[in-house]
Amino acid sequence: MQDQSHPWTAFYGPSVRKTIDAPQYRTIGDFISAIAEVYGDLPAFTTCLPNGMNGTLTYAQADEMSDALAVYLRETAGLNTGDRVAIQVPNCLAYPIAAMAVFKAGCVLVNVNPLYTPEEMAKQFVDAEPAAIVVVDMFADKLVEAMKGHPIPNVIVTRVAEYLPAMPRGIVGLVQKYWDKTIKPITLPHIRLPDAVKAGRAKHAEMHNALDGYRSTIDPDDVACLQYTGGTTGVSKGAMLTHTNILMNMEQTMELIEQFEKGKEVALTALPLYHVFAFTVNFLGLYSQGAHNILIPNPRPLSNLKRAFENYKITWLSGVNTLFNGLNGEIWFQDTPPKHLKFASSGGMATQGVVAERWEKLTGKPLLEGYGLTESSPILTFNPYGKSRLNSIGVPLPSTVVKCVDEDGADVPLGKPGELIAKGPQVMKGYWNKPEETAKTLQNGWLLTGDIGVMDDDGYFRIVDRKKDMILVSGFNVYPNEIEDTIAAHPGVEEVAVIGVPDGASGEAVKAFIVKRDETLDKDAIRAYCKEHLTAYKVPKAVEFRDELPKSNVGKILRKDLRAEEQAKVENA
Amino acid sequence: MVGPLEQAILALMIFVIMLGMGASLTPRDFTLALKRPYGLMIGVISQYGFMPLIGFVLATTLPVSDPIKIGILIMACMPGGTTSNIFTYFSKGNLALSVLMTVTSTVFGVILIPVVLVLYAGALDLDIPRENIIATLVLLLVPVAIGMVLRKLNANVGAVTEFMGSMLAIFFILFLIVSWIPRNWEFLLTTTWATYFGSIVLGLFGFALGYGFSILLRLHPRNARTVALETGIQNGPLAIAIIAFTFAGTEAQAIMAVPVLYSLFIVITSTMVTLWFRRVNTANEQPLPNGLL
Repeated sequence: MQDQSHPWTAFYGPSVRKTIDAPQYRTIGDFISAIAEVYGDLPAFTTCLPNGMNGTLTYAQADEMSDALAVYLRETAGLNTGDRVAIQVPNCLAYPIAAMAVFKAGCVLVNVNPLYTPEEMAKQFVDAEPAAIVVVDMFADKLVEAMKGHPIPNVIVTRVAEYLPAMPRGIVGLVQKYWDKTIKPITLPHIRLPDAVKAGRAKHAEMHNALDGYRSTIDPDDVACLQYTGGTTGVSKGAMLTHTNILMNMEQTMELIEQFEKGKEVALTALPLYHVFAFTVNFLGLYSQGAHNILIPNPRPLSNLKRAFENYKITWLSGVNTLFNGLNGEIWFQDTPPKHLKFASSGGMATQGVVAERWEKLTGKPLLEGYGLTESSPILTFNPYGKSRLNSIGVPLPSTVVKCVDEDGADVPLGKPGELIAKGPQVMKGYWNKPEETAKTLQNGWLLTGDIGVMDDDGYFRIVDRKKDMILVSGFNVYPNEIEDTIAAHPGVEEVAVIGVPDGASGEAVKAFIVKRDETLDKDAIRAYCKEHLTAYKVPKAVEFRDELPKSNVGKILRKDLRAEEQAKVENA
Repeated sequence: MVGPLEQAILALMIFVIMLGMGASLTPRDFTLALKRPYGLMIGVISQYGFMPLIGFVLATTLPVSDPIKIGILIMACMPGGTTSNIFTYFSKGNLALSVLMTVTSTVFGVILIPVVLVLYAGALDLDIPRENIIATLVLLLVPVAIGMVLRKLNANVGAVTEFMGSMLAIFFILFLIVSWIPRNWEFLLTTTWATYFGSIVLGLFGFALGYGFSILLRLHPRNARTVALETGIQNGPLAIAIIAFTFAGTEAQAIMAVPVLYSLFIVITSTMVTLWFRRVNTANEQPLPNGLL
C-alpha cells in the first residue's frame, strides 16, 4: 500500500502504523479480560445522574461481574454460541456488564434503542430473534406488546441506578417510582440483573473453566454484534459486525489518536452506548486505554451534564453536532468550560463549521470530526489531532482505503465529487437475513456509503452530502449541507435543516426549516443573508420557522421526515 | 406556642436544610454568580430592597401590636427559602437561577439582614437585638460550608444531603400542619385579621413586585417567573429560628405568629401562582426536543 493512492498516510503521526495486519486479541471477550488484568483497580465506568449521584465499577469488578453474567446466560438461561441477546438499556453500569457478558458467552449482541415504540421493538425482535434480553425497568412494560411476533424466553431487568451505593439507589428508585412514575409494573416473568449475576457467580465457582469453554467455540470472524441501522433510510437492517471488525476498528481509531495517556483519561459518554459510534469508540476504545468512562443516562436537558463536568476532570468527550451546538449555548458551560479537556470527537452527522469554531473558541481545544457508517463498525476517517480541518472528515484510518467514484463505479478525478466507497477490516460481513440489501451495499469488496464526498489533493476528505439528499434545482446540484452550514452561521439561528421540495418551475426548490435563536429573525433576513453568501440558485426559495426539528434518537436531524411532511402536503393539496 | 422540643427539632431541621443547600454548591457557583452579576443584583435588590419595604409598609399601615410588627419585619427581611426552588421547578422557571438566588441571598443576608432590619426597626421605633441576629446568621453558614465540603469529598453524600435538605423543607410545612395547628387552634382563632392579612399579602406583594420588576428589566419569562417566586417565598424556618434564639418568653411567642402563619399560607399562594404561571406562560415556551440528544 503505497503512497500515490493513499496520500493521507503522510498525515499520520510518526508512531502511527500505516497498516494493521490483525487485531491484538482473538475475540472481544479476550480483549476485555486482558485489559482488566492491566487496569484492575482503576475506575472503569461511573454512572453519573443529573444531581451528581453516582456509582462506579473498577475494571476488575466489571470483568468479574460480566464473567458471572456470561455463565448465567449459558448455564442457567441455556444460551448457546451465536444466540442473540438484546440489550435495551440507557447509559448506566448495567450496560457494560451486560455487553461484556454477551461477548464472553459467545453470544451476539443486539443493541436496542430504549426509546423505541413497541412496534419498532417488535420488528427488530422478529428479525434478530433474540433468546434473551437485558432491559431497563422504565421500558420493560413495552415488552409484552413487543414480544407478540417473537417471544423472548429470558428477560433480565435492570435499572438506571444499578450498582449505585444503597442510599442513592434507594432514593432514585423511590423518586422514579412515586414521583416521576416512570416505572410501571412488569408483568412478564423476569429476573433482576443483580440476581442473575449472583446466580452466575455461584455457578462459576462450581465450573472454573466455563469461560474457557465458551471461548473455544468462538471464531474471530463470528458475528459479535447485530447493529441495526437504516432508521434514516426506511428499512431497518442488522449489520453483522464480527469480533475482528469491531476489534480492528477500535484499534485503528486508537492508533490514529496519539493523545490518550493510558490509565489517565476521563471520558464523558453522553451519546447512548447502543449507538455504534459510542459503542466502538467510547465503550471499547476508551476501555482499551484504561480510561474512566462517565456514563450519562439521559443528556436531556443538557443541564443534566453540569454535575458530571463539575465532579469529574473530563479529558475527552464525543458527540454529534447537536450536542456540541447545545453545549456552546449553555451559560454554565460558557462560564466554566472543562479545564482538563484535551479534545472532543464528533461524528454521526455533519459537524457544522460554525459549531466547531465556537467550540474551539470556547474550550480552547479542537473538535475533531470523524466519519463512518454502522456498516463499518463505524469509523472510516478521522481528523488527526493538530492537523484537523474545518468541514473535513479527515483522513482514512490505517488499513482503510476510501475513494470517490461515479455512477459507473469509475474513480472520479481528485477534487471532484463522487460517491464514497470504502474498504477495510472494519467493513461488516453483510446484513442479517438480507442478501439483496447486502449485495446493493457491498460490491467487489467495497462498501458503498451512499455519501457524496470529495478527496482533496493531499488525501483529506470532505462530505458533500448524502446522495439521496441532493437537490436538483434547474439542473444544478445543490447540497443541503452547504446551505445548512451557511444559515447556521447566522447569529439568530439555533438549528436548521434544508431539503428539496417539488417545484413546477425548477423541478426542485430549496426549502429551509429554521429554529430561531433570536425571536425577531424573519424570512427576509434569512434570504438576504443567503444571497450574500450563496449563488442565486442555492438561496432557499421557501423558509419555514419551527419550534423544533425532527431528530433521531441520537440527535441527527431527520430530513426525510421533513420531506415526508412536504410530500404529504403536495398530495393533500 | 413553640416549645423547647419543637425549637430543638426546628434547629436540627434548619441545620439539615442549610447542609443541603451547601451540598448543592461548588465554589465555582460563586465565581459564576460574580461573573454574571446581573441576575445576582436583581435577586439582592428584590430580596433586600422590595421585601423589607413591603414589610415596613405593612407594619406601619396595619393595626397590629409591636411584636407582630417585628414579626412582619423579620419575615420580610429573610433570604429566599429552599421551597422556592421546588415551585420554580414546577412553574417551569429557571431552576439554576432559583438555586443561585436562594444561596446568594442567604450568604449576603449575613450582612444585609441586620442592616435592613435595624434600619426599618429604627424607623418604626422597635428594639431589635442586632448582635444575636448576626450571630445566628453566621452560625447558619457553618452547615452551608460543611455541605460544600461533603459534596467535594463525596458526590453521593452531597447529592443525598441535598435531597434530604429539600425534602425537609416540605416536612417543615407538614410539621406545622400536623403538629402545630391542632395545638394552637385557640391562638389561630384569636389572632386578629390584620396579622393574617400581613402574613398572607407579604408573599403576594413579593410575587407581584418581583414579577413586575423582572418584566420591566425585560428578563426572559422563565427568569421573571423565577425572580417572582424567589422574591415572594422567604425562608420561614429561618425566621422562626432567629426569633427563637433572639427573643424570649411571651414576646418570642407573639413575634413567631407571623412566620408561622406566613409559612402556612405561602404554600397555598405559591401553588396558586405556580399554576397560573404554568397556564399563562407555557404557550410561549420552546418545547424541549424529544429524543436523547
